[in-house]
Amino acid sequence: MKNTYIPIPMKVDKIVTEDPAKTLRTYDLAFVKDADLEQFQYLPGQFCEMSLLGMGESPFGIASSPTEEGFLRFTVNRTGLVTNEIHNLREGDMVGIRGPLGNWYPVEDFKGENVVIVGGGFAFTTLRSLLVYLLAHREDYGEIICIYGARNPDLFIYKDELGTWLKRTDMKLHLTIDNEADGWEHHTGFVPAVTEQIAPSAEKAWVVVCGPPVMIKYTLPVLEKLKFPDARIITSLERRMKCGIGKCGRCNIGSQYVCIDGPVFSLAQLKTIPDAL
Amino acid sequence: MIKIEKSEFGTFIRDLSAEYKLFAPVGEGRQSAFREVSSADQMNTSIQMTQNSPKTVFLPQTEVLFEFNGDDIQSGEKAAKPMFFWGVRSCDARGMNLLDKVMGQSKQRPDDPAFQDPYWKARFDNAVILTLACHEPASTCFCHWTGGNPFSKEAGDLWAVETETAYLIEPLSEKGKDFVKTLSGYHTASDKDKQEIKTLKKQAESCLRPAVDAKILKEKLPKIWDDPLWDEVSAKCVNCSACAFICPTCYCFDIQDEGKKDKGKRFRTWDCCMFPIFTKEASGHNPRSLARERVRQRVMHKFNYFWETYGESLCTGCGRCIRVCPVNLDIRDVAKQLLEAASAV
Amino acid sequence: MIKALREEVRRLFEEKKVDLVIGWGKGSLPMTATPVFIHKAEDVEQLIWDETCSNNLAVYLTKDKRQLVQTNQKIGIVVKGCDGRSLVLYAVENQIKRENLVIIGVPCNGVIDKKKVLKQTEGKEVLSARFEKERMVVEGRGFKTEITKSDMLSRSCIHCNHPNAPVYDIFIGEPINTDSDVAVYPDVEAFEKLDCETRWKDMVESYSQCIRCYACRNVCPSCYCTECFVDQNDPQWIGKSPEITDTLIFHLNRNLHVAGRCVECGACERACPADIDLLRLNRKISKEILERFNFTAGLDIDEKPALASFCENEKQDFIMG
Repeated sequence: MKNTYIPIPMKVDKIVTEDPAKTLRTYDLAFVKDADLEQFQYLPGQFCEMSLLGMGESPFGIASSPTEEGFLRFTVNRTGLVTNEIHNLREGDMVGIRGPLGNWYPVEDFKGENVVIVGGGFAFTTLRSLLVYLLAHREDYGEIICIYGARNPDLFIYKDELGTWLKRTDMKLHLTIDNEADGWEHHTGFVPAVTEQIAPSAEKAWVVVCGPPVMIKYTLPVLEKLKFPDARIITSLERRMKCGIGKCGRCNIGSQYVCIDGPVFSLAQLKTIPDAL
Repeated sequence: MIKIEKSEFGTFIRDLSAEYKLFAPVGEGRQSAFREVSSADQMNTSIQMTQNSPKTVFLPQTEVLFEFNGDDIQSGEKAAKPMFFWGVRSCDARGMNLLDKVMGQSKQRPDDPAFQDPYWKARFDNAVILTLACHEPASTCFCHWTGGNPFSKEAGDLWAVETETAYLIEPLSEKGKDFVKTLSGYHTASDKDKQEIKTLKKQAESCLRPAVDAKILKEKLPKIWDDPLWDEVSAKCVNCSACAFICPTCYCFDIQDEGKKDKGKRFRTWDCCMFPIFTKEASGHNPRSLARERVRQRVMHKFNYFWETYGESLCTGCGRCIRVCPVNLDIRDVAKQLLEAASAV
Repeated sequence: MIKALREEVRRLFEEKKVDLVIGWGKGSLPMTATPVFIHKAEDVEQLIWDETCSNNLAVYLTKDKRQLVQTNQKIGIVVKGCDGRSLVLYAVENQIKRENLVIIGVPCNGVIDKKKVLKQTEGKEVLSARFEKERMVVEGRGFKTEITKSDMLSRSCIHCNHPNAPVYDIFIGEPINTDSDVAVYPDVEAFEKLDCETRWKDMVESYSQCIRCYACRNVCPSCYCTECFVDQNDPQWIGKSPEITDTLIFHLNRNLHVAGRCVECGACERACPADIDLLRLNRKISKEILERFNFTAGLDIDEKPALASFCENEKQDFIMG
């Protein structure tokens, strides 16, 4: 019987430092055992618990898309004990991965309709997974609009890819930073304000929002103003997690466990959970 | 219904402990618990309720999930000899079933074995639980608030009741039926015995105090989510975890690693939502930083949230939390206060 | 005396001298009192004072309840001798503003230990208890027993020689005359007389029952750190599980952290769900502090704590051999 408490071994294949201050690093992990690779089936929105044996675990949204075979990508923000240790990893080092955990963005429901993606800062990880997935199945979806904001140009993640996406004609990417900066050619302003300006249509559309709590707090009213129904506003919640499989109770809010009933929830669902927002 | 005379009990227990890892109430007072026994005189047969519930065996306080040595990982799962639990009260038997819903099964992923706890299953699936009827519920017992009864047959594999001279046993589940088939040479209960059961049941029920219907409480609790009453109710709580650790249905745990990068272990250990740092995040933000939020969480989880998902109360009314709380925070009083406030809304 | 207590508290509210009074009320179980928070004169009838009032209420002025102290509320608090010593400790350690407290002392002849009563009834549940001057009468299903009250005293009360709050604004009734205020530790001496191996075995056996619920730490007024060392994870000082080595480190460290600050109220051992005699080591340390520094915690508001001050003529035998 599968024991989901035991991590599978993965090897650090590639490390990209995303910002000059070195607070954000992206790790591409390769499977060590073929059986693990075959069994790992996931969808955008899910997460994994990354283990450093002897130190502990930390949950990270999967940034790679299931359409990109053979590896898993995670972006790690250096904040605490475990993430500090992760930042010390070198290419070739081993880590443990437990997953895929949690639920996923309702990509089946999105089919045939437009998708608006709104992201902030380094919460863009699972949104990258979603975007790459949608683009790989382009004919299945309508218009794709992406609004991505960061405090300053340094703090965007996946900068190279952002460059290629800007050039694509089958999607529209809007980038924004908080304040004016030299040489910046795109939007300026907080994500909620820019979203209101761009005013994506709510007609036959879904919107997925991921970002720091303050960004979500001010973006939701904008989306409601744009007439997106609560059931079509999708977000990903963050809570302190441990087991990741709905047993240890740490991420419990209301009758839900963020790690297994979520982390993807619609606004309609969140409104029924006291204290969720 | 099988009748084991008290004069035969010693042999019965001895035989049982040869077939199974036999657990029964042992010890007195606050150090009483379900421990392994090999003879009847090691048991405490007169205790109304052990301080420590069978949870200490099914979900031990500390459990090694795995050990690692370099890249080699050894699971902590153990194949155990099947266990037999004698003398579990119905509140505890129901409690173990409730724990199984969370640990052994998964409501959210019912068909995926990856979401079942293998450590729990190795113990619970291989255990035979004998629910012993409760003759003299304590003043702190309130199983009847949550749909229970001292003579309840709702949970367990076997049900037994102690009479003046014997133990009368009947099967409840398939496992129980299989067990009973292995018993031979014992009498069957007479009509007189069965009459005695009726009398004992009435006597037990007469010990129970007026009840609050937990179902009504569950319906009304969301109405007073923000009520200032929670400040009053939580004022004296000192945020220890005595109530949660002693509770047969509290299951929250922490996972920690010990050792070094190349050799060590990962284990889980009981944790409690009443601890102030339970929900503290790496950023420093704490969604439940106030005592009122934590007390509310515990009450809501027992009497509302769990019900939303599983259709029954997580609290089985055993009353241990009432006895153990250092400041006498009585959940029955809390429930009554909340119900009153909710009815006024 | 209960009447006098209630009258005093009512008067305090009517004269607007307090915003809140913390005292004891009747608990939901026999022989049990519970902390009550009185916000208005009409509620004073909830207050009681008797041998069941065991909680040390000073604990509600610090820790998570700190907000009570920081807003400039005037708080009345009912205290026995030991609790009152906790208040002196708080004043010495700058945890309270003395002028915001109205200290109401009550004369204490000791609080009873429910565990001892249960031993007398052979584990049978007590459904009601009545206290008289020298004895208590307990009743349960099918029994009624008379017990000598002094046999049921909590461990902390047996050798207590500080029954009255050392500092108070109001005293209900007459302070109790103690025969002597020389501290005696026959219980500690008995433990000291045992050989090392026996003491260690006893400690391991006893502390192996600990489930690390932290009830002892949380009810202790002297333990008010906003972040306790057991909750730190960077560095992590002790393991989280009740493994005996980690458990002993927790208890021994806690005992040392309250060294010279423990008022021996016994709240720790009464709170323990596993019946460990937690008071014993605290009393051992108090005895050491008394012998080495001639210091007793929580008596003198102007005296610096023993372990936070240096005195030239202290015993220095640990250096000189």
